[in-house]
Amino acid sequence: MRRVLGLVLLGLAAAAAVGATFLPFSELLIRLAPGQPQTAYVTTGWSTQFGATKDEHGPLFGIPVVVAAAAVLAGMRWRKVAYAGAAGLAGATGMLFVYLLNAISFHQEGNIAIDPALQAGFGNGVWVLMTAVVVAFAGVVIHPDD
Amino acid sequence: MIGRATAVALIAVGVVLTATAMVLPWYSTAYAGGVEVVVRAWGTEILNKPGDWPAGELSPWYGVPVVVTVLLLVAGVWITRAALAGAAGQVGAVGVIGALVVSERGHAVEQQGDFAVGFGLVFLVVGTLVALAGAVAAQREAA
Repeated sequence: MRRVLGLVLLGLAAAAAVGATFLPFSELLIRLAPGQPQTAYVTTGWSTQFGATKDEHGPLFGIPVVVAAAAVLAGMRWRKVAYAGAAGLAGATGMLFVYLLNAISFHQEGNIAIDPALQAGFGNGVWVLMTAVVVAFAGVVIHPDD
Repeated sequence: MIGRATAVALIAVGVVLTATAMVLPWYSTAYAGGVEVVVRAWGTEILNKPGDWPAGELSPWYGVPVVVTVLLLVAGVWITRAALAGAAGQVGAVGVIGALVVSERGHAVEQQGDFAVGFGLVFLVVGTLVALAGAVAAQREAA
């Protein structure tokens, strides 16, 4: 039972981490002129989009996350690999959080004069990613190698 | 086979290189008019900031997660698992920085700016790899 649960948790963590890269990491909803509809500025692990315009050089945060998720998945066989994968996922999440925290603040400060009612904040991808980190470490703790 | 002493020495070298990276520039982009954006572990410096520069401070403290991983590496001298967590965590954090560097370089080229990698980033990458080699060796030694 413990063995199955450990493997399931590692699999879930890897799937959640990969899934998180397709969800928004940060979102800015802004009205560029009074009466206009809101434009969304969304960053995911694979793209940065401002309305219909895609930033061709947007950072691909999904790559380090997917690599760490692959290590977590490989860790189903070796506990230490699972541990390293979970730590790698935590490191990537921590650095991403620091970047996004500042980017969100930048969006708020820089655009508040354009639209005082703008909304800027973390997207669901960040919370899913953090959950994946916790689940990955839980999977390591009850790993069948023990 | 690397012995424990060598593994610990590698971790120590990784820590020193990473600590050095914390005080050196990571990358910079120079634009027309002498405007230069220099990214460091503890903030972004904008030289010759023009009047129409966007409001707000885009100055993330990338050093915070790196300090956490360095503390784990230091703890790894006594607790081998902490070294692995520190090194792997630092690899993940550096991966995100790598994604940002590629992105910033793309933006710089698009805007005809001059992009340059700083010694800080080189020290960070080399320090991370050396620490990882030491942490993996320490695990093998402990096994």
